[in-house]
Amino acid sequence: MTQVLGDFIKALREADVRISPSEVIDAEAVLGLVGYDDRALLANGLSQALAKSSEDKAAFWDTFDQFFAFAAFDQPPPAGAAGDEGEQQETAQGQDGPEEGEEGESEEAGVSGMASSGGSGQGAGKATGQSDSQGDKADGGGQAPAAEAEPASLGEQLAALLEKGDAAQLALRLAEAAQQAGLSDIRFFTQRGMYQWRILQLMGSEELGRLVEQGEGAADPAVAARARRLRGLRTKLHEEVRDYVERQMELFAGNEGRRLREDVLARQRIGQLDRSDMKVMQGLVRKMAKRLVSLHSRRRVKARRGQLDARRTIRANIEFEGVPFYTIWKKTKVDRPRVMLICDVSGSVAQVSRFLLMFLHSLHEVLPDVRSFAFSSNLGEVTELFETAPVEVAMGRTMQRYGGSTDYGHALMDFERLAMADIDRHTTVIILGDARSNYGDPRADILKQIQDRAKRVLFLNPEHRARWGSGDSEMPRYAPYCSRTITCASLRDLERVVTDLVRTAA
Amino acid sequence: MTLESLRVAPGPVADKPAARRPADEVALIHDRLRAQGYISSEAIATALFVSQRLEKPMLVEGPPGVGKTELAKATAAVTGKALIRLQCYEGLDEAKALYEWKYSKQLLYTQVLKDKLADVLSGAEGLKASLARLHEFDDTFFSEEFLEPRPLLKALRHPGGAVLLIDEIDKSDDEFEAFLLELLSDYQISIPELGTVAAVVKPIVFLTSNNTRDLSDALKRRCLHLHIPFPDQALERAIIRSRVPEAEERLQIQLVTFVQNLRQLDLKKVPAISETIDWARTLVLLHARELDRTLVETTLNVLLKFQDDIQRVNEGLTDLLSKATSATR
Repeated sequence: MTQVLGDFIKALREADVRISPSEVIDAEAVLGLVGYDDRALLANGLSQALAKSSEDKAAFWDTFDQFFAFAAFDQPPPAGAAGDEGEQQETAQGQDGPEEGEEGESEEAGVSGMASSGGSGQGAGKATGQSDSQGDKADGGGQAPAAEAEPASLGEQLAALLEKGDAAQLALRLAEAAQQAGLSDIRFFTQRGMYQWRILQLMGSEELGRLVEQGEGAADPAVAARARRLRGLRTKLHEEVRDYVERQMELFAGNEGRRLREDVLARQRIGQLDRSDMKVMQGLVRKMAKRLVSLHSRRRVKARRGQLDARRTIRANIEFEGVPFYTIWKKTKVDRPRVMLICDVSGSVAQVSRFLLMFLHSLHEVLPDVRSFAFSSNLGEVTELFETAPVEVAMGRTMQRYGGSTDYGHALMDFERLAMADIDRHTTVIILGDARSNYGDPRADILKQIQDRAKRVLFLNPEHRARWGSGDSEMPRYAPYCSRTITCASLRDLERVVTDLVRTAA
Repeated sequence: MTLESLRVAPGPVADKPAARRPADEVALIHDRLRAQGYISSEAIATALFVSQRLEKPMLVEGPPGVGKTELAKATAAVTGKALIRLQCYEGLDEAKALYEWKYSKQLLYTQVLKDKLADVLSGAEGLKASLARLHEFDDTFFSEEFLEPRPLLKALRHPGGAVLLIDEIDKSDDEFEAFLLELLSDYQISIPELGTVAAVVKPIVFLTSNNTRDLSDALKRRCLHLHIPFPDQALERAIIRSRVPEAEERLQIQLVTFVQNLRQLDLKKVPAISETIDWARTLVLLHARELDRTLVETTLNVLLKFQDDIQRVNEGLTDLLSKATSATR
């Protein structure tokens, strides 16, 4: 596999596009077919082999543009030079705009990153010759002839390239150096300096620095002037390399930090999260929900043993003159679970409730039948609110309507009145709260009734198990009537509960 | 229009340097599709080129009505191959997709066999001899003669190859998707009673999906993936020009601009190309030369399929119309 394709696929995987080895092989075949000549053709071809859903396609186009964009060294290359770099193809195509053409160059620069160093040395030698022929006054010294006689040192080659402003050659050098330095392995932003230094060294900047210092000390005013100009160009080169490293870092490690942060957030107790993390958290919930949906969105069928499917059995046994050797049984589609969610939205648990509500309502495709109720002292149904309004708005309104001091007994009574009749043996009832009822009557008897009617009752409590029963916590009185009691403080815990819920459908 | 131009002879592509540059080949495919009345974008033409050369099935996704099925039809027309279509639905199984035994004929066969049994076994003495005699007898019960080929098998056995269109694969069950994998990766199918049937000529396979559910990774891995979005203005005009040439230039521009702006609105069902074509034909039938308010109001139901959408568009009609008519000024 070519280095360029390998790096590109690395960048794509970093952008969360899943690519299997067989798809890499396809991509290689596509590459062999369309080549690097035509940017649009290359992009279209690769996108078919590598990105196979609309999100992947979007990520692909972003990464493609970023990966093959090469804005470095944006000085316009001398008109004559472009022709010599084997770019006739690009210009001959005509249909590509000028911008396309330039990017085409960079692709080629990337490709010939694989080329032997002998080839590039030759190119540099040619370049020096050219700058000589252009009659640059300052280039008076014996350098140009020397370059033709024997390969010039790295520093001098670089000096010549910089003076000529040959963007394509410089880009090529940069790509080569970056590859030698192993830039595509960059992981953390603290590594930027090291890679930048390594690349500059490989390009010969260090030596150039020595040359400049020597030149500035020289007696000849022309040599000293050239050295000063070179110092400026060298500084500019350093900036270009820094930008380049930064862009590549974005490409190869841009998601690393984000992943780390998401991982930490998912483990942290929701109650202790900073407000500024809420946005990330919401994105995280959406992502978890999406994964669950794609895992469970297919309806399962369960064989109903005991009921013969006469039509299909006859058909299957026709070859035995209708004697039923093989029997085929009727199947039923497995129902999706019905869920009733009772959420405490008082200050202490509001944040956890927010995410559970959001989570369950974004699972609409897998759990179409979710009814949610919110309470502090009074309880009311909020299903429609969460289904029509965005979460933030819905949560705000819920708090406004049902916030206040907590009274579990009263809330359960309301629930009994509102929804008890709708609970049947397919229903899972989930209660989320800390069970701190301000010393009111907990009405555990209602919970018992619920348990009798429902398939199961889950009690999610954000508090640690050790604190259950301390102070005004009524947890010990509720626990006997729950199928399960679960400590549920972080997003990970929530995910576990929801996954379990979706998996054990009806 | 020869077959060779679209699909090269089997064998590694790399051995045989392509006579034309890839870009030219893509342009050629574009022109051939155009000759069949299918205006392709560059992405579509490239996709076709790549999938033909790599001999891989193509999975085409996109909103309804953007020409996914048409692409397969046009390809069949260009290559001159037969189009074999398999419409997927929930509960589709291999008996309907692949093959079925001709039961009635098999029953008749057993009847005949019973009558002939005495002849076959005459002279044999003892059970052993009879069995030996029976073994010598050809068993044709499960043979090609009694095989009723369904679309997939037909596509594999079609002399000269075929274009196989597996339409709306997202509507089928998991099991069917898994069952397709062998066909998609190796162009062969296993029939338990007969063995493996390999393709005579590898068919050109298209799968289409409306994205109602995610397809399995295994399926996606075996296919190249093409996403056809709604066309941009220029492409849509080219399509209308080719499909409804009798519409006047002025009307074409206006109606395409109108539809393009319509897609920006938040609608339940955004009109696709097929709706634009229908609308253009309707307008031509009504001898319209340009859009005006009453005309649009009365024909909007061709374009929009929900009453909510129609009402919503009616509210912003003045704006949409002025944008459309100003396009021709």
